[in-house]
Amino acid sequence: MILRFSFLAALSLPVAVEAQIRASEIGTISQTIDGTVISVEYSRPRARGRDPIFGTKAVRWDEVWTPGANWATTLDVSKPVQINGHPVAKGKYSVWMVVRKGGPWTVVLDPRSHRYHMEPPDSTKDQVRIPVRIQTAPFTDVLAWSMPELRMDGGTLAMQWERVRVPLDVKVQPSLVSTLPAGDAAEYLGEYKFVELDSAGKESKVTVFNITHEGGTLKGRWTPDDPYMKKFALIRISPDWFVPGVYDESGTLYEVLKPDITVEFKRENGKIASFVIRDMEDNVWGTGTRKR
Amino acid sequence: MTKPLDRRTFLTASSASIAALLFSGRSAVASTVPTHPTPRRGITGSKVLTREQLSKTPALIPLFDSIREIPEVIDGIRCNCGCTNPPEFYSLLSCYEAKGMARDCVICQGQGRLAVRLHKEGKSLDQIRSAIDAKFA
Repeated sequence: MILRFSFLAALSLPVAVEAQIRASEIGTISQTIDGTVISVEYSRPRARGRDPIFGTKAVRWDEVWTPGANWATTLDVSKPVQINGHPVAKGKYSVWMVVRKGGPWTVVLDPRSHRYHMEPPDSTKDQVRIPVRIQTAPFTDVLAWSMPELRMDGGTLAMQWERVRVPLDVKVQPSLVSTLPAGDAAEYLGEYKFVELDSAGKESKVTVFNITHEGGTLKGRWTPDDPYMKKFALIRISPDWFVPGVYDESGTLYEVLKPDITVEFKRENGKIASFVIRDMEDNVWGTGTRKR
Repeated sequence: MTKPLDRRTFLTASSASIAALLFSGRSAVASTVPTHPTPRRGITGSKVLTREQLSKTPALIPLFDSIREIPEVIDGIRCNCGCTNPPEFYSLLSCYEAKGMARDCVICQGQGRLAVRLHKEGKSLDQIRSAIDAKFA
């Protein structure tokens, strides 16, 4: 009997430790943007019929509140970022919000990341304090952090609970610069005869490729138009090497085809005369020769 | 040598290659190793997979043969495919040895082909490293 009890206990103990039903279950979100990893770890309180929540004993006005429960919500950024224009150094922070009835709230990032929700930090110079304008949103039962909007250079990190939405604009350090000074761009501009090669390395198609400089960015375009690439950015990655950046309908860069495609220009007597387009495996996909 | 027929096919093929990479448990993210390795003194290409070992992927034989000829260059290049975790791994050359990660990994293959081409063009190891960093890091 004792043996049997011990056996059952041994079986059940680890389960009892690992499985715990919490009022505020732990959640995480993680988003990589251009090599920067942005992670939020938090306990997720539920409204449980409480409505409103803000301005009640659940979350009082002017309280320094962690947008989560139990251990304070944490924000971890793998590289320096800007949040609503405020520089945030690489690292892990506990996240707090000063909750105000009428005016803007303040998001507080405190480098002391491991704090219990009952221990809101005092103001210190180490903190990043960000005034934010809250928004009204449809009722959200379980407090949620998300990144519903992404751009090539950042996105919106949002906290939503009850009818409150707190949007934070996160900007990451770009790994590439899409602009090129007019003086540097000039030598690439012009019209090129583009010869596309087939799998055997033979000419399969001849088109025209134009390079222009618009809005501070070097741009390429095939004629007839390529339906996916359309007019795309040529983004310099090293002297005379470029990668394509594809624009969405609104004219915003949303994808850089690196290392998928590399445009390598070649010089004759110091002047740009031609280019080769190579794929990720260094296969030649086509060549361009300057017409004018 | 496989070449895309058009831009759409090309992009689809690239996406498929990356997907295959991810589903095979390999990461396509850039290595976090900050510097390139120093080529080991006396390194040879004797461990680079042979024609016989590549019987299932004959199209890659010329690439592996080229890598075998310049171990002192390939051993000075880090691989950006995320395969730098195994303890036996030292450099891009390691991708072409033993388990032969370069048999499946388009990043390893691309870096290898680029290194071989630039070496043939007379570029120095530092110039090759710069080019690989520009394209793959």
